[in-house]
Amino acid sequence: MPRSSDFAILFDASYCIGCRACQVGCKQWNDLPATETQNTGSYDPLVLSAQTWLKMSYHEGLDKQGEVYWDFTRTSCMHCSEAACVEACPTGAMNYRPGGVVTVDQDWCIGCRNCVQACPYDAVHYDEEKGVVQKCTLCHDRIANGLEPACVKACPTGALRFGTYGAMRRAARERVEALKAEGYDEANVYGLKEMGGTHVIYVLLRHPSTYGLPIEPMTQRHKVAVDWLSAGIAAATLGTLGWVIARREEVSGGES
Amino acid sequence: MSGGEWGIYIVLYFWLAGFGGGAFLLALSQRDRWLERVGAWLAFLGVVVGALLLVIDLGQPLRFWHLLASFRPISVMWLGSAFLFLDGIALFILLFLREWPPLLVWVAAILTLLVVGYTGVLLTATAKPFWSASPLIPWIFLASAGTTGAAVLALFGASEGVHRAAYWLAWVEGALILLHLVWTYPSAETAVRALLSGPLAWAFWGFVAFGFGLPLWLETRKKGLWLAALLVLVGGFLLRYFVVYAGQIGYVI
Repeated sequence: MPRSSDFAILFDASYCIGCRACQVGCKQWNDLPATETQNTGSYDPLVLSAQTWLKMSYHEGLDKQGEVYWDFTRTSCMHCSEAACVEACPTGAMNYRPGGVVTVDQDWCIGCRNCVQACPYDAVHYDEEKGVVQKCTLCHDRIANGLEPACVKACPTGALRFGTYGAMRRAARERVEALKAEGYDEANVYGLKEMGGTHVIYVLLRHPSTYGLPIEPMTQRHKVAVDWLSAGIAAATLGTLGWVIARREEVSGGES
Repeated sequence: MSGGEWGIYIVLYFWLAGFGGGAFLLALSQRDRWLERVGAWLAFLGVVVGALLLVIDLGQPLRFWHLLASFRPISVMWLGSAFLFLDGIALFILLFLREWPPLLVWVAAILTLLVVGYTGVLLTATAKPFWSASPLIPWIFLASAGTTGAAVLALFGASEGVHRAAYWLAWVEGALILLHLVWTYPSAETAVRALLSGPLAWAFWGFVAFGFGLPLWLETRKKGLWLAALLVLVGGFLLRYFVVYAGQIGYVI
């Protein structure tokens, strides 16, 4: 679990207008080049990459009353407390910083891309030119100098807030209560339990699956344990089968 | 897709480690000293060439030693590279010895099994639904290590026992692949469709026809067993190819 003194970002979907100022702010502060995109209704990059650490995603549909909704959510690193990327990293280059921030040490990363495959939020990507992986740093360089992360600074509506984990969690819960009182029955907080608790907390108007967020993602250590167990059972089963057949023919081969 | 996906080097490595390791383990069941040595050579070559391929595939190949300077057993990637390193040493010693100490044979066999097994776990312990939605990739890779290992031993004159083992393992492998496709379809529809009728259909159906169906037919007819063995080896490559690429369809790495 995150400590209440950790850093945290609160994204409140009920305030978001989908302007993408956060996306641009992220690119500017982190010196990330624009990527060449095609017009798919907009020129917005469709997915995160080594050059795009944050992007807004757009979700439309019909709610239970048959009303059209158009919801926005933030896709980027969630700075998990039990981060799959950290547990998948074979060298420790991907690791936790003070305050719960997850970053990759670019001088120690070997570029194996295991973290890219492991992240349930698809937030880590490989930089072909540098031969290492890249991701959101929670702007720890800005934080260390008393500034907010660039995305938070750029947000014009207060949909993004930065503060201590304890304060952001309290604010998220209070906001959900207020939304429920306003009639948003499905309003909820996302990120309190996921991956050991994430340092980016979402206030959502609808069920997290509406926003394309993974529901109860399995932690990496849980996955690894289950998968080694599966491999062990497989080796025992198939090994016995193959070995016994091969051996039996060998023993009885001369007689039959 | 950018160039960062786990690509052809990884496929080649999974294939080499699979048939080399499978050949060694099956040869040990035969108590045939020549075959055992052939198996140990194949496993050793698989480990050495495979490790080289893995290093070349890194974004920073010269930093490969960072793996050895770390201790992170929860990372399947770290654990796998440790197994690979130790297995290489154990097999190297075996190849040098005229008489094989039983304990060392056991150590080498277990390490070889772990090398073959971790390649499956590596894919399953990810967030990519085609690899992780079912626990069967390690099963498929182990079964394929058995069939391809038996195929390569057949080229070196393996006995009837190895042929029978390969025959039955091939049926199990086919059933596991079918089960895996059905199991992962709900969460990895794009990947499964890519295999059945999309950009990876050539590899998938190539495997089904030439790496699975034809060799089984030849094996029952006791005809062209050389050809059957070669086809099984090619099939093992196609299998790893379509599994590795299908998992990453639609993702930017």
